[in-house]
Amino acid sequence: MLVRALYLSALWSAISLFATLIMGSRLRRSDSALSLLWLTGVILAGNLVAIFTFGRLLEIFGLSLLAFIFGLYWIVRLRDWNAPGQVTWAMTLITTGLFVIYTFLLTAFSPLNPLSFVFALMFFFLEAITLMLALSHMHESLDVVCRLQWHRLVEKLEPVPGYIPMVSLQVPAYNEPVEVVEKTLNSLAGLNYPNYEVLVVDNNTPLQATWRPLEEICRKLGPNFHCLHLDQWPGYKSGALNFAVTQTDPRAEIIGIIDADYEVDPDFLRELVPAFANPQIAFVQTPQDYSDSTGDTFSESTYRGYKYFFEVSMPSRNERNAIIFAGTMGLIRKSVLEEIGGWDEWCITEDAEASLRILKKGYQSLYINRAFGRGLMPFNFEGLKKQRFRWCFGGIQILKKHWEALMPWAHWVDPENKLTLAQRYYYLVGGLGWFSDVFNLLFAFFLVLGAVFNLFSSPIKVRPLTDTVLIIPAVFLFLHILRFIWVLRNRLKVSVKMAVATMYNFFSLGWAVTLACIQGLVQREGVFLRTPKATTSSKAWRAVQVTQWETAIGVMCILAGLLAFGSDRNWRTFSLCILLIWQGSLYIAAPLYSLLSLKREAALGVPVRVSERGKPVMEQLAARWVVAFSMVLIGTFGLIRFLPSPAALPDYARFLPFDLSPGQTVGREPNATRTSPAIGTTLATATATLPSTLPSTVTAKATVTVESANCRAKPRTNGGRVTILYKGQEVDILGRNDDLKNPWWYIKIPDQDGNCWLWGMTAKMTGSVEEIPVVR
Amino acid sequence: MQKNLQTEVSQLLEEAGQFARQGKREKAYQSCLKATTVAPDESLAWYARSRNAPSREEQLMCLSRAYSLDPNDPETKKELHSAVHTLLKQEPFLAYVYETEQFYQVRSGRDLLVNIPKNRTFETPYLKKRPGLAQPAFRWLTFAVLALFLGGVGAVLFAPVAAFQALRLQASAPTDEERMRLLIVFILSVIIWLAAIPISWLLLIRFYPS
Repeated sequence: MLVRALYLSALWSAISLFATLIMGSRLRRSDSALSLLWLTGVILAGNLVAIFTFGRLLEIFGLSLLAFIFGLYWIVRLRDWNAPGQVTWAMTLITTGLFVIYTFLLTAFSPLNPLSFVFALMFFFLEAITLMLALSHMHESLDVVCRLQWHRLVEKLEPVPGYIPMVSLQVPAYNEPVEVVEKTLNSLAGLNYPNYEVLVVDNNTPLQATWRPLEEICRKLGPNFHCLHLDQWPGYKSGALNFAVTQTDPRAEIIGIIDADYEVDPDFLRELVPAFANPQIAFVQTPQDYSDSTGDTFSESTYRGYKYFFEVSMPSRNERNAIIFAGTMGLIRKSVLEEIGGWDEWCITEDAEASLRILKKGYQSLYINRAFGRGLMPFNFEGLKKQRFRWCFGGIQILKKHWEALMPWAHWVDPENKLTLAQRYYYLVGGLGWFSDVFNLLFAFFLVLGAVFNLFSSPIKVRPLTDTVLIIPAVFLFLHILRFIWVLRNRLKVSVKMAVATMYNFFSLGWAVTLACIQGLVQREGVFLRTPKATTSSKAWRAVQVTQWETAIGVMCILAGLLAFGSDRNWRTFSLCILLIWQGSLYIAAPLYSLLSLKREAALGVPVRVSERGKPVMEQLAARWVVAFSMVLIGTFGLIRFLPSPAALPDYARFLPFDLSPGQTVGREPNATRTSPAIGTTLATATATLPSTLPSTVTAKATVTVESANCRAKPRTNGGRVTILYKGQEVDILGRNDDLKNPWWYIKIPDQDGNCWLWGMTAKMTGSVEEIPVVR
Repeated sequence: MQKNLQTEVSQLLEEAGQFARQGKREKAYQSCLKATTVAPDESLAWYARSRNAPSREEQLMCLSRAYSLDPNDPETKKELHSAVHTLLKQEPFLAYVYETEQFYQVRSGRDLLVNIPKNRTFETPYLKKRPGLAQPAFRWLTFAVLALFLGGVGAVLFAPVAAFQALRLQASAPTDEERMRLLIVFILSVIIWLAAIPISWLLLIRFYPS
């Protein structure tokens, strides 16, 4: 029943998501009757498919009733969303929940040896966490596209008469090209606001020739422009910004942070400052935008990648007063900054960290989704990779420091902690979200191992690869890819091609994010990524060289998939191959984008500096940790074969969920025999070649002599696996093939209905061969 | 002795005040100089000297000293800020020397050591944060969570240790916050222990599959 419920809910999920993809952004009215109608429609559509395939009427009715009640709950809870969003969310939750229960039962009651069980359990937890993260992405996407009522959306602030507080704009700089900073300062000189000062804070730039001209520029721009060079200053950018606060005009009430490469619109202050008339507002953030975002696929997809955060994540977070202060193009109340103790100097994403401490004190934040300035994106893929590494590392630092403040019980432990549940959720998911790429790599690793073991026909297994385990994650993956492309298209107004390019741009940085997550966990101080040194003057070769690890992983995945399918062609290895090609493509995207970024390099000419702070961590060295960990895993994995698997089907296996074959799910085999997935599940079920005559009494028996043996639908190695038999299992022989040099026994599957073919070399036969009828 | 010293400093400062009012800056400065020599830890003397200092550098040095002796005096803070501001207008170079919770000590481009107020609450830096009372209990709880992922048997052992630590430390918890934190650790330990039992059972039955 569980498996049927799971397939039914997957159907509901798929139907509701497809409907959302079509109508989710178009249906702009919220109405309980419409939502109920939508919910009923989705449930009925799913039921219709189920009735004609695998379903049982009573079960379908019961499950539909439960799904209806659950959907009703979410319709009430998510009143600000439209019907497609509400129903998709409810159905996705049901499917995810049922799949987690299914995989737990499969893990818990499969006949595995102890080591396999430990691995299976780890895999289960990994899978469960990944699904939770996927749910959070789904929620965010639906929240911004299907939301009809925005409670904290501010498109334009009304000016407050007489409210013109002094603003101190701080421009942190490190080794910046003078002409870049000059453009920024000139744009600041043109601000349409009467009461502000600009403080250029250059920290630790080694050459006087680089920072001295800034002093001259400030002098030329007037008395409101000040320049400060800090030498041998600790704390990197945040250390310099903390000192800059001491040098702001005492009259300044608001501090603005502007990156040295940003050209700011004249209305920046005039439009945003009125927000601070509300004393509860502690900081205001606007999107970061870029002026060099067109001209090539790399630049455009990178640009959309940045935009995703400001068009999807931030609006959703803003609804719950849970935005982050993203540094540049944001304003923050000076008194609040002083109250929280300034910028944290240990954290390399000090802006986001500060916003959490501000919200913790109960202040309000505001996101205004309108860009007021444009900066420069990283020069090439290498720069992008380093930037993503830094952001992720900072995110993990925040999580490490504040995890306790984000827990559900945080308020009981610290009554001063005024974070709401939603704020805690967003910050927690924001931090944990980085680990998606770590899990993705682990999945790729497990898939490659699966393919390799399959290649060598090794009996090692961690968890039975049931049809459901292959089908449902594939459905999830497909739906989430569609959802991602859909949200990109809707919020960023891009073509499908650009949405796919943006998606791959995201995924191509998975390796850098994985390294940053690991470093973030093991390193206390800030580090930056140092990519492998160039060993050639060829730019193209260099572009590939900086992504050598991604290339290696990608190639390994694709090769493993192709070899697995090539050696044993069945639908399972085909699915494995597809999954591995997908995983491989995510990593192969890295060298591709790196090569594409050459066009940008050529267009820009002069490299844009990427600020590097903390101590360097060599990519090669960081990657060796990953390799070492993989080796340990493979070694431990290899140990599984030295532990005996259960000789016979253990008692506890009766709690296993029954599986459905793919044929059943699409309705081709409505009456097929159900088999337990623990002993290998049914591709061909028990539809082996039927013998013309079968003996009335069993005259011979076979005892399996290998760790595990495939019992097939036909007497050949690619004959479609029906079940797996384990060492020591004794089975009744009903027939044989007519080749005694290469015997195959036609046997009765123990404890079940159905027969299959067991290769003679994997079992010891007792009885008389002559008395066994030949089956053709 | 201390009283005599204070009287002498007060007289000198009063004298300096009179000279300053008469426009005799040099004499006023001499009195202040004497006062800072007699009582080098008297912030008021340094502040008065700064007001009569013959050069901006000396004024900055005196204000800086006055501030380090009495960081809460608003007048000193205000004038120090203004003096630093003027200095930076001439030479925008500052090198880091050290810092305390109240101020940075920096070296200017003209080799002057200046103390600059931080004007912000001081939060214990992350890396220097002292371990909390509940840390031993948290450590065992972490072990228990990790063990739960690895088959659960370890969690059956570690979770009670974490719970025991939490109970033991309850008695010595100095604040309500710590007591609540320990209570949470205790509850979590019990939950993990309860979850670990069936998972461990699932692992153990695999050793005896029959």
